[in-house]
Amino acid sequence: MIQFQHVTRNYGNRVAVSDLDLSVAKGELLALLGHNGAGKTTTIKMLVGLLRPSEGKVQVGPYTVVDHPREASSLIGYVPDQPFLYDKLSGREFLSFVAEMYGLTTVESREAVEREAERFQLTGFLDQLTESYSHGMRQRTVFAAALIHQPEVLVVDEPMVGLDPHSIRLVKDLLQAYTEQGKTVLMSTHTLAVAEEIAHRVAVMKTSNLIFDGKVEDLRSQVSGAGDSLEALYLALMQN
Amino acid sequence: MSELTVSAPVYQTHESERLPSQEREGQIFWKLRWQVGRTQLKYLLRHARLRTALVLGLSLVFWLGLFALFYSGFEFVVDNVGAPGAQYHAQTVQFVFTLFFVSLQVMLIFSAGIILYGGLYATRETAFLMTLPVRDSRLVFFRFQEALLFSSWGFFLLASPMMVAYGLVVSAPWYYYAYLPVMVVSFAYIPCAIGAIACLLLISRLPHLRRIVVGLLAVVVIGAAYFSIWRTLNISNADLLGAAWFKETFHRFEFTRGEWLPSTWLSNGLLDAARRPLSTDPDDLPWLDGGKYLIVLVSNALFLHVMVTWVGRRVFRKSYHGLNTRQARESKPVMAWVDRIAYWAFSPFSVPMRLLITKDLRMFRRDPVQWSQFLIFFGLLLLYFANIDRFRQHRADVSVLTWVNVVSFLNLAVVGLILSTFTTRFIYPLISLEGRRFWILGRLPVNRDTILWGKFLFAAGGSLLPCSGLVLVSDLMLDVQPMVVMVHQLICLLLCIGLAGMAVGLGAMMPNFREQSPSKIAAGFGGTLNLVLSAIYILAVVLLTALPCHFYLLAYSTEIPPKMLQPGFLKLWLSLGIGGALILAAIVTVIPMHSGLKAFRELEV
Repeated sequence: MIQFQHVTRNYGNRVAVSDLDLSVAKGELLALLGHNGAGKTTTIKMLVGLLRPSEGKVQVGPYTVVDHPREASSLIGYVPDQPFLYDKLSGREFLSFVAEMYGLTTVESREAVEREAERFQLTGFLDQLTESYSHGMRQRTVFAAALIHQPEVLVVDEPMVGLDPHSIRLVKDLLQAYTEQGKTVLMSTHTLAVAEEIAHRVAVMKTSNLIFDGKVEDLRSQVSGAGDSLEALYLALMQN
Repeated sequence: MSELTVSAPVYQTHESERLPSQEREGQIFWKLRWQVGRTQLKYLLRHARLRTALVLGLSLVFWLGLFALFYSGFEFVVDNVGAPGAQYHAQTVQFVFTLFFVSLQVMLIFSAGIILYGGLYATRETAFLMTLPVRDSRLVFFRFQEALLFSSWGFFLLASPMMVAYGLVVSAPWYYYAYLPVMVVSFAYIPCAIGAIACLLLISRLPHLRRIVVGLLAVVVIGAAYFSIWRTLNISNADLLGAAWFKETFHRFEFTRGEWLPSTWLSNGLLDAARRPLSTDPDDLPWLDGGKYLIVLVSNALFLHVMVTWVGRRVFRKSYHGLNTRQARESKPVMAWVDRIAYWAFSPFSVPMRLLITKDLRMFRRDPVQWSQFLIFFGLLLLYFANIDRFRQHRADVSVLTWVNVVSFLNLAVVGLILSTFTTRFIYPLISLEGRRFWILGRLPVNRDTILWGKFLFAAGGSLLPCSGLVLVSDLMLDVQPMVVMVHQLICLLLCIGLAGMAVGLGAMMPNFREQSPSKIAAGFGGTLNLVLSAIYILAVVLLTALPCHFYLLAYSTEIPPKMLQPGFLKLWLSLGIGGALILAAIVTVIPMHSGLKAFRELEV
């Protein structure tokens, strides 16, 4: 469903992502791991159309992101690390705007807003201006907006930052349930315990290169003796 | 989570085929604008009544003032040059109109381009919209609408009183007023669209050099404007406003009347629409002549509208990517020379205070929004001050001497008023902005008073040099007496101290830690109050010294001064005025700072 084919992205002379080959299948949840500055966010930005690869190709479903950004983004729901909301819109108005941008009719949009508001427990705040929302509420609203059109691909960048334990559980369950429905999830995170718990596969980036792509069990056999947890394996991999 | 399962796709058609059409997309964005605008309007009416009333009231006063000025000017032209239809009338008014509109045309190109750049490339909203299936042309147009509105409202405020006044003075027919709004909007659209296209192409082609290119162009335009003004005014006084001067000036500014310029189409259209048909010529149809220019303006505006969306569709995403993947500048681990100078200049103060001042200075100079506005306003003032030496040629005339004195004090007040807008916009929010990072300052082994005094010194010290320099330029160009120069410098010092004390003190008394945008903090009740009090303070301090100085100069210029204007009385008046200004400055500095310090000591974040 998602394919990075020999993708390189430079910032002037600095290479942010180097010759990345990565794919995520339908119904799969891939956790993208790596230290700060490894190239995770650049990778995600190329996927959602905010950056263009210097070389290579990013494909979502049948669409190349650079050539068909609009069609590609219609398949994607994106939750950025720093959520954006219109302060002077209510949660309902914001969600309706996003729903209508994805082509939902007014009736469908109303139903979708109610559905996502209930799912993310926003019902009581839906008609308040988003400027009054707490960080957790903002994050939940952005999740609701990303899922409003039930996209084939969900891309989440650091989904757990600033969430309370209840919301973290909510998001984890949601992501798992989403892949069970045959949808694709690409999640960038530093929360290794969450990645270990819900990801089908992990991809590890280090200084712009992909250094591991496989299941946690594969990582255990690659970094033998480092420990059992993903955290221990990850740290050992990074030291190599 | 109340419902963990994800329902099966409800919509059987492919997602991309469901995406909204052009028209539907436009409707969705208009709905977004309407919802945001309605909420902001409600907020203004409920929570910012004072500010809204002040803005509307002052705008109305400004509009009426301009209207009166233009009305008198056009009456003068009709009475002394000729009635509408006369050759010299048309030439004079066309000269005024084309010069006015061509200047604003250039400003609109720059301002629309710069505003579009800020909205399109430097906001999180654009990044958010780019992740939605929004057409690039729609995104560019959405931002262009904002650039158009924000860059041209000043033009409408300036141009509308002039055009209405002209219509009334020459008793223009009804179609003049019917054409007016369409002509003005179409005209504003053209330079704004040119600015937008230039911005898109510049970022697309030269993302690394965008600031240098805009800076160079601005310098060239300002240089050309300065040179034109200087050449126009730099003639002997005997020729000023004479027939030869007018002819030469008319000829010099011929480039402003080029047939290909939208400003010329607007000027000619207005002149044609305003005149009455000649009774001797049945083929003379002013409504048709004016209408032709109207059609030229509208068709060009529509053409450029298409061009903006076309260029946007072609280059926006590429230019956005290019801008966001350029190489970051390497930072130097050494202290910048500006910081070193500031650190040295504040050496009489404690090291923590100097470090706090250096920190504020760094934040100031690294935020172009702050210093660019400072530069533009003070640059324009400098341009004006450098061209006001016309009075010098009439030194012997008492009435001119009086005007010189009045103008010099007015210039001082203008510098103070502009400074007050900066202290309100940039100094007042400083404490509120510290709120989110207050834990850093709060944990430092620094007395809280030091933090506040540091901000006061930064504001007062930083504003003193440009303000006193500007006032000195004004005084030198007007060639005022040394005594007046000294008084002006003293008042300038008092203004810098008083305005800084007021902004820092009130900012600490009424902090707003919920808001992160300095402009929104400044636009709140506290900021508005600071602006109003600052204006009152400036007028009071300037008047306290302006009146005694005025009478003092009169007394020394007339051979037999009236009894109340005897030098002895006047020296006392002047001393009392200066004393009053000193006391007032002390009050507006000490009281807000004292209350601000108290509030800041007790602050819990």
